[in-house]
Amino acid sequence: MIEYVQSILLIISAVIIIISAIGLVSLGKNTKNKVYARIHIVGLFDVACIIAMIALGQFLLAGIYFILAPFTAHAIANAYWKKEDRENNLELQNVVEDVGEDHPFLHPKEKMQALESENSEKLKADERFSVTTLEIDEGE
Amino acid sequence: MDILIISKFIVVIALIIMMLAALRASAYKSTSMGLLGSSIVVNAFAVALLICGEIYNLAFYRDISLALIFFGFVGTIAFAVVLGGDDE
Repeated sequence: MIEYVQSILLIISAVIIIISAIGLVSLGKNTKNKVYARIHIVGLFDVACIIAMIALGQFLLAGIYFILAPFTAHAIANAYWKKEDRENNLELQNVVEDVGEDHPFLHPKEKMQALESENSEKLKADERFSVTTLEIDEGE
Repeated sequence: MDILIISKFIVVIALIIMMLAALRASAYKSTSMGLLGSSIVVNAFAVALLICGEIYNLAFYRDISLALIFFGFVGTIAFAVVLGGDDE
């Protein structure tokens, strides 16, 4: 009976491994964030390997692999993000932050520039403040 | 032939296909893809060694597999840290 369970688990892991192999090489050229997608697919392969190890009765190895695999994936993704994606991806360099009008702390850049300019209508309308300019003679 | 032996051979064939796919993926232009491909090959070889060790009664196959998984992880992390560089 246990042989059948083992063989079913092994066949399931083989199917998952083949699916991940197909997915690893079949991502199109125009796919965005390909490297992250491939790292995600490798996560599927890791789980298939863990299932195969459990089917073979190697529980300690499966546990070690289960703990170590996410660290590997995160390290590769972090390295790619820091040195390749952030410097080469043009879309990331031109990020437009969408800030709502009602946000209490963040304001759009154009709105702040309009407020700070001398011809701002709000400055004219606000008569509580008066601006004086002192002329400083450097000769004194 | 026993069904367990057949399923073990099926897994080994799937792992070989995965290794070939990983070699293809590691040839893409990004350095991280090479790192990812080598990590896949090492892990796939470790699992294939577990299976072949049970089939052919190899000596120390569990220890070699554990060493491959552990040192493959250490090498991948070390290379990823070097590749990522310092925080700005």
